[in-house]
Order: sequence, then structure tokens, then C-alpha cells
Amino acid sequence: MMTVETPEMTTWESLQDVFEIVSRRGPDPIILSSIPYLPGDEHRHTHFPVVLGPPGRVISMAVGLRAALPDTPLLLVTAADSATLGTNHLIHTARRNIGMTVLMLYSDLLETGDIPVDRTGWTSTGYQVEMEQAETPLEWAVALQASLVGRGSLLNPSEFANLIVEAVETPGFSVIGVTGDPTLRTEVMSRRSDWPEYFATYRAWSEGMAPSPPSSIRPVPPAQPRSSTPARIEVRIAGIGGQGVKLAGTVLSEAAALGEGLWATQFGDYGSATRGGPSRVDVVMGSRPISYPAADNSDILIVLSREAAAAHLTHAGPGAACVADEGTVEPGPGGPLIVPITQLAREHAGTPIATGVTSLGCVAALSDAVALSSLKIALPTRIPERSVESNLRAMEAAYKLTADLIRGNQT
Amino acid sequence: MSTPSFMHSNQAIAEGAIAAGCRFYAGYPITPSTEIAESLSGRLPEVGGVYIQMEDEIASMAAVIGASLGGLKSATATSGPGFSLMQENLGFAVVGEVPCVIVNVQRVGPSTGLPTKVAQGDVMQARWGTHGDHRIITLYPSSAQEAFDLTVKAFNLAERFRTPVILLSDAVVAGLLEKVDIPDPADLEVVSRARPTVAPEQYRPFDYSSSDIPPLAEFGSGYRFHITGLLHDESGAPTEDSEVVARWWAYMQRKLDDHLDEILDWDEILLDDADTAVVAYGCTARSAEHAVELARERGHRVGLLKLKTIWPFGDAIIDQLADRIDRFVVPELNLGQIRLEVQRVVGGRAKVEGINRADGLQISPEQILDVIAEKALA
Repeated sequence: MMTVETPEMTTWESLQDVFEIVSRRGPDPIILSSIPYLPGDEHRHTHFPVVLGPPGRVISMAVGLRAALPDTPLLLVTAADSATLGTNHLIHTARRNIGMTVLMLYSDLLETGDIPVDRTGWTSTGYQVEMEQAETPLEWAVALQASLVGRGSLLNPSEFANLIVEAVETPGFSVIGVTGDPTLRTEVMSRRSDWPEYFATYRAWSEGMAPSPPSSIRPVPPAQPRSSTPARIEVRIAGIGGQGVKLAGTVLSEAAALGEGLWATQFGDYGSATRGGPSRVDVVMGSRPISYPAADNSDILIVLSREAAAAHLTHAGPGAACVADEGTVEPGPGGPLIVPITQLAREHAGTPIATGVTSLGCVAALSDAVALSSLKIALPTRIPERSVESNLRAMEAAYKLTADLIRGNQT
Repeated sequence: MSTPSFMHSNQAIAEGAIAAGCRFYAGYPITPSTEIAESLSGRLPEVGGVYIQMEDEIASMAAVIGASLGGLKSATATSGPGFSLMQENLGFAVVGEVPCVIVNVQRVGPSTGLPTKVAQGDVMQARWGTHGDHRIITLYPSSAQEAFDLTVKAFNLAERFRTPVILLSDAVVAGLLEKVDIPDPADLEVVSRARPTVAPEQYRPFDYSSSDIPPLAEFGSGYRFHITGLLHDESGAPTEDSEVVARWWAYMQRKLDDHLDEILDWDEILLDDADTAVVAYGCTARSAEHAVELARERGHRVGLLKLKTIWPFGDAIIDQLADRIDRFVVPELNLGQIRLEVQRVVGGRAKVEGINRADGLQISPEQILDVIAEKALA
């Protein structure tokens, strides 16, 4: 894994000469590499900004550097070995067209050493001189649709620097093979045009965005509970994913904080599957700051599925006010109030997704803490405008039915 | 003046990042941290910053390092599986002294574990996750308000001490929707890294001769220097000189150890007359606070030490409590990671008991209350 080729010291020295020429023609380049870069004494205090990072990973560091520095040349010096270790990053960075120029060292510059071969014939990940041509990595680059693919000869630093400058100025992503082979010349081998520059496109897009706090963040007044409000009221709404349970908790907690001036928390528990799995939301509200946010001892419990009824009704305390959706429990004396919540949601809002919000009508009927009027204030920012009215109608219907049932029980 | 708002802790982290000056985020969305990415994908472009979804968490951490070297305050957020992938480059940020913030919203592990269920199992991974000895700062909020406040603090400490800072959270804290007071920008203390004042040719990015943190120039500003994962000399160039390396180790220890007063953060609740102290953090501190309220109603002399800085561990805080407390109770959603730290500091002066679970459920106040009450029966 950690094989790192070490080029002859003269390779870095020669590259340093090339970089010096590049820097005279534009901004200082930043060098990214995993190959230990030990500048010789004459270069020691003039060496370039260098990020010498883990093999393959420096490629992604270039993405962050580009975001910060739109115009700085980013030169990745690598051997095929280090690049393949980060191929995932190389492919993604190439796709982002951040204008990185890759300088890929040919095998003639590498001290590959003895590659261990085991008895099955598998070699290490080291450069396979016998099996790959020196320019194989450049064929990958063409396949990756690099905007410029070429070869640079260390024997002519000035020509090589010109090619780097051209690559840097070409939008997209460039790969240049680096060789010291006297039979090979500096030349462009493949060009593609029309690649946009990633961050320029991003910035053009984002400049059109108006600064505004996200609509999901709601300013609230300071808590001002009524003296009659208990210190802690626990509400649990439990059902299945797809019933809008979590949304109901959000609306209820915001209504408590915004409309009633209470302290409130909302805390949801949901499974890995978003639809069909068990879903639960706990809202705790009261006249004092809320420490523990779960409604383990619910004062108000709403169950919206058979599974939720089985899981939660048995744990409800003796004083708890419980409402079950029709069809989730067998009706009987001492059982929860039964309200056809899903049916009301379908009838008024036309969708079972409104079931959770509909059930808030039951909560308002069961407790003085949060009034229907406060729920009406909180709901509109949380659902599409076209659904507000129908959801409110479903909520009001559930409120009325629950209130009627409570009155019926009392007489 | 402040603007109170109602938001999830994950959103509060995003807002804290914006307020602290974060202008780059690279990440790969993962439950239960996704809302942080979602919020910042909208907020960063609004303030001229950059949000980018990377191919994985290895690349995310790498891009964060790159952007920070380019001068942007940078962050990423993830959960356990992604946090594991970030450890390699996190070590690079430690050695290269690159300021950045890494948020880990914990869920049950190891591996993919229970993706939506709460845990606090990465406390030691935050401390020792990357290889090699090192110091690290880790903060841990227990409410949406603390999520905002500690995110700002995380960026400030990262910039002040040129170091990665880990912000731990958990699936329960992440999903908590509650009130957050966002201070006016004028009232908020925001720290930015010191930039060099010397000429580029005199700049030494790792010069530890001064007692303070060496300034960090951003790349592209004319200062030429090395950043490397290899141990290096004061110019940043790799070295194997053991004297230079020993000097580096000494510096890396003292740069945090000498400034604990700026780093450590904790709350003491009803501890003045207590004989029993509950030590808790994150979502478990919420259960513990309620348990302490219930226990006080029943006449137990119990208080809560809520840790907001997890690493470096607050030895001095536990140490002074251990002289007057008979019993420490440490509830955690892991098998006792901080309990062992408490035991180490207490050194037998008081009893130390853990309450532990890692099955995806929270520790209830009643569970803690039962342990507090045991002593009364004994």
C-alpha cells in the first residue's frame, strides 16, 4: 500500500528549475505531491508552496485549495503508483474541472527497486515496467477526457514550462507526462476544449443567490409562560413513516414556543426506512427550560398505527390522555379515545401524509397548553402554501371530534 | 441584542459555522449529520462561501485541509463510518497544524451499526482515532444553543491554536428542535488565525522559539513553505533530526497544555453541597439534569458536572471535586469511555460508577435516579 517511488534527487531539482520559469510567467504555482520533496541546498529557501501529503489524498486537497484560490496554478506531481492509489479522487477531481495540472513521472525517473513477487506470480502494486508502457497513464488521461494531455522533457526546462503554462490556462484538467528520456520531446498529445471551470461556474451560480435566513429557522419571542402552565408536559405522537409524524412534532413545538411563549423541545426517533417503519416524535413543553427531551411518561399520547398502539399504550401512565386512530385498537371501556384521524386527513387534506398534522387537533382538545390558534400560526411555514387550508380543516375536524368525545365521556 | 430562533442542533451547528466565519464545507452526507450539510449547502453560497459534496469522507477531509491552507475557515461533518475514513487526513492536519473543524454526530457502531440510533461510542476515537501520539481538542454540546455556541468556539480554538478541532454530537442532540439565541455579529467573539508580519523570505511556519503559536500564512499570498505529514523542521521541510523532532513534540504538547484555561468548558449544576456528582455530556447530560432535579425533590444531595470540552480531559475539575465528593456516577451511551478517565483522576478517593448502554436507546432519568438512590438504601 505505502510504496512511494523516490525519483532521483535531480528530478526534483530539474522540476524546480521548470517551476521557477512557470512562476515568472504568472502567479506562484502550488505543488502537491506524495513524493518526498527535499529541495537541495541551493533551493532550500526559495522552494515553492508545497503540500506533501498522503499518497492519492493530496489530489482532493487540491479541490479545497482551488475553492480558496481561484487563479493559482495547482501542479500535482505524482507517479502512476500514487495516482492509482487515489484513482477515486483523481477521477472525481478530473470531473470537477478545477484546473489542476498533473505532472505524471515516467518510469525512467523512478527508482522502483526490487518489486517483491510471491509464488503465485502476483507482484506488488509498484510500477509494472514489464507490463505497462511508460505512457499508459497518459492513455488513462485521454480516457478521462482531460482537456490537455502532453509530455514534458526535463532536458528542456523552458519548453516544458511553456507547456505547463498552456495547461494551466486551459480550463478543465490536464495531464503531462514527465520524462528525462533523451529520445522524447515536449509536445501536446491530445486536446479537448469546451470544459467549463468548476468553481467559476459555481460562483456565477451562487452570486445570484440573495442572502436570507433559511425559512425553516423561525424567530421566536422570549419564553413567557402563563402562571397556570405546568412545568413539564410530555406529548408523544407515534405512527409509521409517511404519516407526517415528525412534521407534527415540529409544528406542535413551534406553536408552544411561538404562540404560547412556553419552553419547548422536539425530539424524533425514526428507523432507517423513511416510509413504513416506526416513527415517533416527542414534544416536551412547559413553564421551565426542558432538560430531558423524551416523553417517556407521556401526559398526552397519540397512536396512529397498530404497532404504535401496541408499543406505547401499555406504557402510558394512569393520568395520560390517550387518543388512538380508528382501527389501531379494539374499542372498549377504559381504552383510549378513538378518533378517525387518518380518515379525516384523507377526507379534508386528501392525503395520509397529513395524518400527523391532523392529530394535533386532538392534542389541542386534550390540553390547554397549546391552543388551536397557536397551531394555526405555526403550520403555514412548514408545509406548501396550497396545502395549508386543507390541513387546517383536517386539524379543526379532529379538534372538534375529540372535544365532543371528551364532553360525551364527562356527561 | 440577539435573535432567538427555533431550530435543530444540526442547523445550529451550520449557523454557528457561518457566524464563526466558515466559508468552506466539503462533506459526504450521512445520517444523523445530514442536516448540517443540507443547511450549509444553502447558507454558504449566500455569504460567498463554497459548499461541495465530495466523493467520500477521505476526500472531504482532504479538501477541508486544502481550503484551510488557502486561507478559508473550513469544516466537514459526518458520523462514525465517515469519521473513521477521515482519520488519515485528520492526522495530517494535526502534524501540519492546519486549522479546521470536524463534526461527528455519533450513531451506534462499529461499522454501519444502527444508522439512526443514538450512541456516544466515538469519544475515544475522537481522542486517539488517528495514529501516532498527539493532542486534540474535542467539544460536545448537549442542546441546540450549545451546538451554536460550541461550534463558534470550535472554529475560534482551531484558528487560535492552528489545530483540527472535533465537535462531537449525537443522534439525539442532533435532532433536538429548540430555541437558540443567535447573538448579533458585533457581540460575538470571532478569532482568526494570526498571519505573518515578516517578509516572505524570513517566514518560518513552524518556528517554536516564541512562546506563542507561530502565525500561518495562506498559500497564494507570496509565502513559500512546505506543509507535510512528515515531521519537519521550522521551514516545514521534512527532517529526521531527532533533536528537531523532540523540540516539535515538546511544542505540540505545550501548545494545548499551557492554554487549558482557554479550552476547557463545563457547567456545574447544584454541586456546591453535593455528596454525589453525576458526570455527563451530550444527550446523556439532558437525562442526568432531569435525574438530578428529581433526586433533589427526594432529598438527595446530588449535582451534575456537565462536560462541554471532552478533550483535553478536565483533570483539574474532577480533581478538586474528588476531595469533597463521595461518589461519581458516569452515565454514557458506550461501555465506559469517560468513566475510566474519571477513575484515573479520582485515584480511589471516591467511588466511581458507570451507567452504560449502547443498544440505540437513551439512558432515562429514572435509570440514573435509581443509581443515585441506591446509596440512600445502602
